Amino acid sequence: MERQSNREGVKGMLNPTRYGIERVAYWLQRLTGLGLLFYLIGHVIETSAIVNGKVAWDNMLALTQTTEGHIILILVIGMSAYHTVNGIRVMLGHGGIGVGKPGMPDYPYKAASLNYKQRASIWISIALAIIAMLYGAGVLFGD
Amino acid sequence: MIKMRESVIMKIHYGTALGAVALVAIHILFRMTQNFTVSLQYENVIANYHLLPYSLMLEVVLILLSIHGFNGLRVILLELKQGIGYEKIVNWGCISAMAVLVAYGSRTILMAGMGIS
Repeated sequence: MERQSNREGVKGMLNPTRYGIERVAYWLQRLTGLGLLFYLIGHVIETSAIVNGKVAWDNMLALTQTTEGHIILILVIGMSAYHTVNGIRVMLGHGGIGVGKPGMPDYPYKAASLNYKQRASIWISIALAIIAMLYGAGVLFGD
Repeated sequence: MIKMRESVIMKIHYGTALGAVALVAIHILFRMTQNFTVSLQYENVIANYHLLPYSLMLEVVLILLSIHGFNGLRVILLELKQGIGYEKIVNWGCISAMAVLVAYGSRTILMAGMGIS
């Protein structure tokens, strides 16, 4: 009964305030992944307008080549950059690269896998996403 | 039904990710060869589809991203909840959605490439 009352279920997993920046990176990876999947579906649907001729294509472009359309595209650029760089960090981590060696469980029990390399890689992913978004904004709004 | 180990599925997930990153970079570079707005004009886009290597690359990108995207969705949904029935629905739902997206995207690539409109 006590075990049941302590059980947080999905809410415990959703809590982004625990486990530091790694949990934030975990959530950003999933949110950007879902965002990019929605964009992929939308992109496949919007580009299908090409088979209906020039008028249909121009009408579709008129819908997407707007300020709102550009802002969505800039967000997609940021999501892609973050998802790619953080994904490579996760892949390397799964291969045992950059996670360090297990040490003695001395107080305050810091996990070797949450080392400065991992934390720095997460911040680099976020920084690169911001730079990519700024570059994208320059291209899209600079026309 | 063939059962695949999750470790094998994760290798496919990572492989499709790396392949997609390389090919999407080429896809974006095609838009940067000229002014972004000009590159999206009907004649330029149709010319891209008529280029066979580019069309084949688009097809591969579509397949890689669909596999990666829907497997990612499957992983997220299975992290949230477990159960035999639920997992079956999630697995088959994601496979079906992936197949529909690949079929719909392939239709566009084929029709635009062959000039059918």
